[in-house]
Amino acid sequence: MAEEVSSQMNSLSISETNPSSSATISLVSGDDIVFKVEPTIAKEMETVQSFIDETDGKITTIPLPNISSHDLPYVIEYCEKSIAGKITKEFEAEFVKKLNNEEVKELFLAANYLNIKKLLDFLSQVIADRIANKSVEYVRRYFGIENDFTPEEEAKLREELAWTFTGVDPDDEDEN
Amino acid sequence: MTTFACNQDLILENMSDVETNLDLIQWLGDDMSFKVFSYLDNPRDLVRASAVSSSWNDFVIENGLCKQLCLKLIPEISGVVRSIEVDYLFKVDGNNPGYYYAEKRELLNRNHRVYAVLAFGLIPMNNCISQAICASSTNDHLRESYTNTLEPRDITEHGASYWSSIGQTDPSVTETLLYRLYSRMCLVTDIHVQPFQGLINGSSPIYSAKAIRFRLGWDNDPMEIDSKFGLRDKTAFSGIWTYTSPIFPMSQENKLQHFKLPEPVLCFGGFLQVELLGSVQKHEEDDLFYICISHVKVVGRVLSQNFIVRMRMFPPHGACSVQYFPHAHTRWCGCGYVSNS
Repeated sequence: MAEEVSSQMNSLSISETNPSSSATISLVSGDDIVFKVEPTIAKEMETVQSFIDETDGKITTIPLPNISSHDLPYVIEYCEKSIAGKITKEFEAEFVKKLNNEEVKELFLAANYLNIKKLLDFLSQVIADRIANKSVEYVRRYFGIENDFTPEEEAKLREELAWTFTGVDPDDEDEN
Repeated sequence: MTTFACNQDLILENMSDVETNLDLIQWLGDDMSFKVFSYLDNPRDLVRASAVSSSWNDFVIENGLCKQLCLKLIPEISGVVRSIEVDYLFKVDGNNPGYYYAEKRELLNRNHRVYAVLAFGLIPMNNCISQAICASSTNDHLRESYTNTLEPRDITEHGASYWSSIGQTDPSVTETLLYRLYSRMCLVTDIHVQPFQGLINGSSPIYSAKAIRFRLGWDNDPMEIDSKFGLRDKTAFSGIWTYTSPIFPMSQENKLQHFKLPEPVLCFGGFLQVELLGSVQKHEEDDLFYICISHVKVVGRVLSQNFIVRMRMFPPHGACSVQYFPHAHTRWCGCGYVSNS
């Protein structure tokens, strides 16, 4: 993937001096890496597409300051597969296997920001799968959530519905 | 969106919040959080999520996620929402014991618990009957006992399997069969009854009833029921019926006849009475009317044995509380409730 990125960077530096390549869209990650994608890919990203539409297609370099160069290739890969109609259960299983918990969260935020519906649906399921059958403590750590209950409140919650707090998976930090 | 740059600033601002204290629900907004939570299909996951933080607690409870999941898992629950939410027929242990909820949030808290228990605890059962208790009359307690009606087959290795009333000169006499269900809280959708077909001197009469009606409810004193168990026949049941079905016509056919209740019924108390309204078949030998039933089956869901149901012993009758016991019990002492495990 790293090589691919650098090759894309090279092609960008050429394309900047070459106005004929304006058909492609350049997505600039938060850490200033440029990814060139086909306009069809941009169409999958509603946020990007609406920006292009608003400027009547005059601007084709789009800064995405809150998406890192680490996450953007995943997003692009998913969109490419989606356009090609090749989103299969197998592909999704392979795709999610590559991601650790932190990456899933980042991708979800990226997909939400870019407003890519299919990727959001898929990642919703992935996140739900990572809440399912986990302890409360695990979910707090996974989502970085501070426990803001008083010890009394928490004890009361647990007492009232004790049957939900048994039999969860062991708290492994990261299943991958 | 007004300008792109403006939106960027907004999002960047949000991102910095996220980095210091990322709460998925706050950041995603209700719609996206709702999406994620809708992929959870075990009520235990929703309840645990409600204990993660106060914002998760608010989100899960105020959006009634447990109710939505319960309706998704058990669609027939939609028919009893009224008795759950308006009549407050039961509570989960730890609830505010009052029947009136001054605060909306209190009511939502209550619904959260109740629907979580229902979604998790109500398990489908082929036949919800655990025990035949008595009949209004029995012709022959040895060969024609009401206990035979729990056997689906009408002929076993021991011979014909059915219950028979005593003979009556009046065909309008009503006979009843009393059953105990597997749990004191059941969701009943259908009741199936098969009349018995005899074989006498080359003819094969079917001793069905003219019509049938079902009552669901509870006994004032379940201990008493157990002691009366030895008495075999009982004409008056001292219990309170919280549900009475419409009268269904019964056909004189030897098949398992399906009686679908107009709406599913959440039965508290765990007793079923089958009322057989009038007989149609005379017995050739003595010229008396008999009703014979080979099988009775209750289709629905019973509450998992990990939950103990306590009945409310003062009005409104039929209300009960549910308490969780981590280890499945075989006998709940003090209330005469015996579960078959």
